[in-house]
Amino acid sequence: MVHHFRGAINIAGHAPHGRARLLPGRPRFDRRFQSRPHLRVTFLQPILLFGLPLALIPVIIHLLNRMRHRPRAWAAMRFLISATRSSTSNTKLRQWLILLFRTLAVAFLILFLARPLAGGWLGWALSPAPDAIIILFDRSASMETRVGGASKREQALQFLASAAKPFEETSHLVLIDSATRQPIPFSKASSLAQMDAAKPSDAAADVPAMLRAAFDWLVDNRAGTAEIWIASDAQRSNWLPDDPRWKSVVAQFTGLSQKVRIRLLSLDQSPDANVSAQLREALRRSRNGGSELRLTVDLQRNRAAAATIPLTLTLDGARSEMDVAMDGQALRWRHKTDLGARSHGGWGGVALPADANNRDNVSYFVYGPETSATAAVVSDDLQTARILGFAAAGRDGQPAARIASVDAPTMDFQKLALIVWQAPLPAGPQAESLRSFVSEGGVVVFFPTGRPDAQQFAGMGWGGVENSVDKGSPFRLRRWNEDEGPLAKSDEHFSLPLAETSFSQRQLVAGQKDSLAAFDDGAAFLTRAVYGKGEVYFCSSLPDDRWSSLSDGPVLVPMLQRLIETGAQRLQPVSTISCGELSAADQALHWTSVDSPAPKDIRVEAGVYRSGDRLLAVNRPAAEDNPEIISLDDAKKLFGDLPLQTLQEQRTQFGQAQGEIWRVFLFIMLLTLIGEGFLILPSKPRPAQPPRKRNPAAAPETSAAR
Amino acid sequence: MADPFNLLDSAALGRLSQLPLLARWPMEGSVSGHHKSPHRGSSVEFAEYRLYAPGDDIRRLDWRVFARTDRFYLKEFEAETNLRCYIALDCSGSMKFGSKFPYAKRLAATLAYLTVHQGDAVGVLCAGEDLAADVPPRRNPAHLKVVMETLANAEPRGETGLVGALHDLAEKIRRRALVIVISDFFCDLEPLLHCFQHLRFQKHDLALFQLLDRSELEFRFDRPIRFVDLEGSQSVVTEPAAIRDEYLSQFHQFLDALRVGCNEFSADYRQIVTDQDYEKVVADFLIQRSRQ
Repeated sequence: MVHHFRGAINIAGHAPHGRARLLPGRPRFDRRFQSRPHLRVTFLQPILLFGLPLALIPVIIHLLNRMRHRPRAWAAMRFLISATRSSTSNTKLRQWLILLFRTLAVAFLILFLARPLAGGWLGWALSPAPDAIIILFDRSASMETRVGGASKREQALQFLASAAKPFEETSHLVLIDSATRQPIPFSKASSLAQMDAAKPSDAAADVPAMLRAAFDWLVDNRAGTAEIWIASDAQRSNWLPDDPRWKSVVAQFTGLSQKVRIRLLSLDQSPDANVSAQLREALRRSRNGGSELRLTVDLQRNRAAAATIPLTLTLDGARSEMDVAMDGQALRWRHKTDLGARSHGGWGGVALPADANNRDNVSYFVYGPETSATAAVVSDDLQTARILGFAAAGRDGQPAARIASVDAPTMDFQKLALIVWQAPLPAGPQAESLRSFVSEGGVVVFFPTGRPDAQQFAGMGWGGVENSVDKGSPFRLRRWNEDEGPLAKSDEHFSLPLAETSFSQRQLVAGQKDSLAAFDDGAAFLTRAVYGKGEVYFCSSLPDDRWSSLSDGPVLVPMLQRLIETGAQRLQPVSTISCGELSAADQALHWTSVDSPAPKDIRVEAGVYRSGDRLLAVNRPAAEDNPEIISLDDAKKLFGDLPLQTLQEQRTQFGQAQGEIWRVFLFIMLLTLIGEGFLILPSKPRPAQPPRKRNPAAAPETSAAR
Repeated sequence: MADPFNLLDSAALGRLSQLPLLARWPMEGSVSGHHKSPHRGSSVEFAEYRLYAPGDDIRRLDWRVFARTDRFYLKEFEAETNLRCYIALDCSGSMKFGSKFPYAKRLAATLAYLTVHQGDAVGVLCAGEDLAADVPPRRNPAHLKVVMETLANAEPRGETGLVGALHDLAEKIRRRALVIVISDFFCDLEPLLHCFQHLRFQKHDLALFQLLDRSELEFRFDRPIRFVDLEGSQSVVTEPAAIRDEYLSQFHQFLDALRVGCNEFSADYRQIVTDQDYEKVVADFLIQRSRQ
């Protein structure tokens, strides 16, 4: 039974100048396309057609035989000539027919091997079913959205099974799911729902990659005509319409000898009320002799009315309930949990109650053990370096080590969380090492040297030095980001005394990115640039009396300590990944599910997994919560010249339908061989004619008469 | 130059010489011989009675018959004369096929020897594209050397001239003789039978030896062959398997027609395949003639 889905949109056929109707209705076909059925014959293996001259082999052999006939002297020539003449007509005709049949047999063999395709009525009449049907099945987390009682995934499976059933005997059925993208052949359409590759997953779908996998299967298996059925909720983050791979994939399909038709089952209905939870950050921080876990969770919902969302927090197996007031469609929820004196790591999760999509209601996290994050100060100014070193002291109270700029190339960054750089900006290999440090999650904060520096790092550099005396008034900070970052309010919601900090000298920051604090004249005090997994900061003043009062501490110390905490994440082993992004090295390990007693597949299911001492939190990708969908018009544009229809439309009988007609050629070849076999059978001997009687009374001819 | 008598097998000759070469009908020889003459003569063999006619030799009157019948009857006796044998050898190109010509020469040489050996005359006619040799019959044993040399020097070539040669022979020979023709007779049948008829009309004893090669009779070839005519430049490329039946049909039609025609003119026709023992062929020929 075919379900007509609410909201499913039918689109027109291939109409380069027309526009598809977006409202449900009867399908509208391009009449130009329908009225001229194609009779063009193409070949799947056209290179074999170069072997067509081989059909002349019987002729060549015949000619060679005639040329190299053994000459034989013969006396009874008259009888030979007479016999040849008598049998010439029939024999020649027979020999010509034998030669013709042999030539045709070779020609049709080559044409058969070249796998001919015929379009139009010929292809429809001879081969109405496609050789292969590849189902690209989106089983990402968003497909678990329930509409009308069943999830989109379940509805898609039901529809696909009924649509594929008529083709069980005539076509190869292949399933490529969004999580593994591995082609899986199957023979029974009813088995589709039971396949592991059709079960729900938390991995995101990548439609261009799935199409690429389908293309590879077609080429590797030398399939003939094919249809690709795409079952998807048209989520934009899965379809990636701006991805440059679309062009190359469509070009690959267009370049195939056989026509490939795309049929789309779009399940883009809007769900019922749904709230999703996506973990942004799980940060362990040292506090008052112990540590606390700081969680940041993004809550998104498709309703705007104010509501209280019950939220369950699981920490190392212990569950706690709390209510979250939500006003609007998005909320960044922050929560701190006291970890006490525990030094080891752990895991947890945030869960919401059941709604339209249970798959996006849970998010997992893992926190690592206590680590001693340290910093280093690169500076040639002993005084400044001493102040910076104290401000960046570790948990043990030891100031950060000072390293002269000449020794910086030999620095070991491995165990550092933060590098305070108060020296000429690095260049060459040194800069490369520093960039590598930052991209792995480290933090670098540059302080000015007071000297011109043409170098840049992460797109930022130093400009000129300005003195407040020259300006006539001291520099004052006017604004700074108190919500997050190193200048944010304290846990007790106290602001850092930036307004009371005086600045008499500053060195302007060139190429600034994100300005976290600015002077009253707009010049940046603290800028930030994200580089890889880490961050780069430029602070325009120094904790030096000639520059500012930062050396007092209430601004500088929390700023640097927070940066150490941020950079300390780098020292933690990878603890959280998106589903489907497990590295090859990690895939080789054996993982067991921690959050669930039932075994789970780490490649496709979110959860907390353990391998040895390692804990890994796997969450669905954040993009899966993005409700934006791609319109069918846009989807059609992505496929370019490839024919695209919805799966619900009636199959067209003419036009682009192509069928392999190799059977016809094989049949004709066999007929010609049978005909040749009959012709080369020896013929029956002709009955001998009786001798003519002479009249004995007749007088002989004499030599004179002769 | 090779010894022309190499054509002869002395051992075979020794066996064959016991058998006489006889004509089937009375011959007209010049001397007395072993063969019947159509004429009456003075020999010991009584032939018949004849009424006396004025002028007959009264010494031949049979008085006992007179006493019984009161009529005068004369005794007629068989006259025996010698045999003149002409051996016509076909020297056309077709005789070059296989071992036909050497077989023919050996056959001709053997018959020539036997003829001379029994005191009869033999001559040889080599008929090719042009008349290669014409040796008139002689009884002289020394003539045999000439005959052997003629046979030894004969070479087959060109188209057949046998029909014309036989017609000329029929006109040339005045008295009855034995004409032995050794050929494959691969020519037009009607003219050939006409010349046989001509020879028989002249009351010659005609013996025909048709020499054929086994492959001509069976035509067993398994692949296309370019057949080149031995008597001309014509050639034909054909599939023997495809035309074999037709070829054999026509060939045997020809042979049957030839045989029938020869029987009509009471020609002594023999079909010889060259893989047969020639001594047996000659022996059969001689024995059959001696029984007639």
